[in-house]
Amino acid sequence: MALEPTCLALMALRLDQYANVQVLLNDQRPDGSWGAFGDDNEGSGLTGLALLALNTAGAFPDAATRAVRWLLGTKGREANWLWKWKFRTTDTHVRFDPDKFGWPWEPGTCSWVVPTSLALLALKQSFPCCREGKVAYRIQRSVEMLQDRACPKGGWNAGNGVVYGSPMVPHFDATAIALLALRSEPRNRLIDRSLVWLERQASSCPSPWSLSWSVLALNAFDNPVAPLQHLLETFAEPDETYDTATLAVAALALDCTTSGNPFEVVV
Amino acid sequence: MTRRAVLAGSLGIAASTATSLPFLVPRYDHDRRPARSRVAILPATQYSEKLSGVLWDALKLFNLDVTGKSVLLKPNLVDYIPEAEINTHPLLIAAAAECFRRLGAKSVTVGEGPGHQRDTQLVVQGTGLEQYLKEQRIPFVDLNRDEVVKVRLRADYSRLRDLWLPCTVLAADIIVSIPKVKTHHWSGVTLSMKNMFGVVPGVKYGWPKNLLHWHGIQQSIVDLVATVPTHFVIADAIVCMEGNGPLAGTARHLDRIVLADDPVAADATCARLMGLMPECVPHICGTAMFLGNMSSDRIEQLAAPLTYPPAPFQTVKEFGHLRARAGLAAAAVR
Repeated sequence: MALEPTCLALMALRLDQYANVQVLLNDQRPDGSWGAFGDDNEGSGLTGLALLALNTAGAFPDAATRAVRWLLGTKGREANWLWKWKFRTTDTHVRFDPDKFGWPWEPGTCSWVVPTSLALLALKQSFPCCREGKVAYRIQRSVEMLQDRACPKGGWNAGNGVVYGSPMVPHFDATAIALLALRSEPRNRLIDRSLVWLERQASSCPSPWSLSWSVLALNAFDNPVAPLQHLLETFAEPDETYDTATLAVAALALDCTTSGNPFEVVV
Repeated sequence: MTRRAVLAGSLGIAASTATSLPFLVPRYDHDRRPARSRVAILPATQYSEKLSGVLWDALKLFNLDVTGKSVLLKPNLVDYIPEAEINTHPLLIAAAAECFRRLGAKSVTVGEGPGHQRDTQLVVQGTGLEQYLKEQRIPFVDLNRDEVVKVRLRADYSRLRDLWLPCTVLAADIIVSIPKVKTHHWSGVTLSMKNMFGVVPGVKYGWPKNLLHWHGIQQSIVDLVATVPTHFVIADAIVCMEGNGPLAGTARHLDRIVLADDPVAADATCARLMGLMPECVPHICGTAMFLGNMSSDRIEQLAAPLTYPPAPFQTVKEFGHLRARAGLAAAAVR
């Protein structure tokens, strides 16, 4: 089992009685995380996505509690005082504030935008109110991290906005997922600029994966997405074969205006 | 000999010694260096349909036996940023596919796992590669999301010990690295060996493959290429990148394609063409101890002679020591 396509497929099939959440539950590791695939012996940065899939599928309190515990105990390596000091003093080519951290792709590495956004979304969904202690702390830190690491003109790249003095170019999926994670935050200039970037670029996006994430984010911010959904439909040519993750996220994007957007956070 | 030359020479030796320090203690299974390596430097001033003919004539010089074998072409596709010279040009990839089919390969597949961009299809479409893949019916595998197997590394400089690697890569009989020649702000250069970071699956190690950075980029490159054999190199040095590569540098024409049957010899030659000293690039230095040939006297030039550019490629400040002084570089080439 590969974690990302499985989670996205379960979310896309959320209204289907044959969607088998047991597959996901079986692969949860004893520490509460999920590996990137069945044999993986380490927790993956996609554990947040797995928790989102569980939240979408129904109530699985034991599994969700263990996943939350793992998420709260896992952080980017820059959160350690020694690396924090290094990034402040000697290793300064990447512009970021190491006090603001989130989640890594792999334990023992730095925080990156996509795993941080997915974990943040999952925590916000799991704790719609009464966020206290460590939950509140991690949500606050990761919101700050996303704001700190945005590209100078809005949007998000893989992890940082400026490297060796050069501004990074935003990516569709990272920008969309970060915006979904920040949806319940007070609107600010960064969110507005990122939305403008996404809206402008999405209409000429040639790829179903990027366009689907863009639709989901714009829909969550109540922007009209019908033209983009029509564009997405035109990508489905008979000779094209897409991977499961792309098919699933496209299905979610086409369905979000009628069946709901599973990446939205209800506050 | 002037005092200045002695000083420059001493600095060069000191830099080279410092560069090879992490690799002084052997941590590889055995010495696999060939007695001699072959490199062909081909003039090519533009990307056009003619590349196929140029490549075909040059490949014949190597007498490659690929009959009945599966060939994996590994281009260098990092991200899609319009107008930026980041990625291997699709015409060169298509030309390579055509040539290996003509040579009798059982199958030719293009495989890549972009290091920065999670949407591989966006990169393949945006660079124009998709059109050629469709026209020539060449299969493409997203190595970031392929089936993976855990593999014990055949060198241990990074202390990673093992890596999950894509089945498509492990099953290929012949792996051809097709890098875009450019400078890189973390590793000094991206050439055929750094290009192999693209076989490390993002689904496990993320975007970018940050674990390799934490274990030392130079050490990780050496361990990876010791484990995943690069049988042949076709380097895109027609339009290269200098300065703050791999994403934010500026275009620089070299007007060459470099072919080689040894990735170490290929990278040493490309570095010299860039006006950089391969002896100061740690991963070239490290692999030259057991995997291939860096020294000019063990590299046979099959086509155009190695020449030195009027000015070395620009690098970020930290890799300024790679930029060879013209006199020293010319002496090294001789």
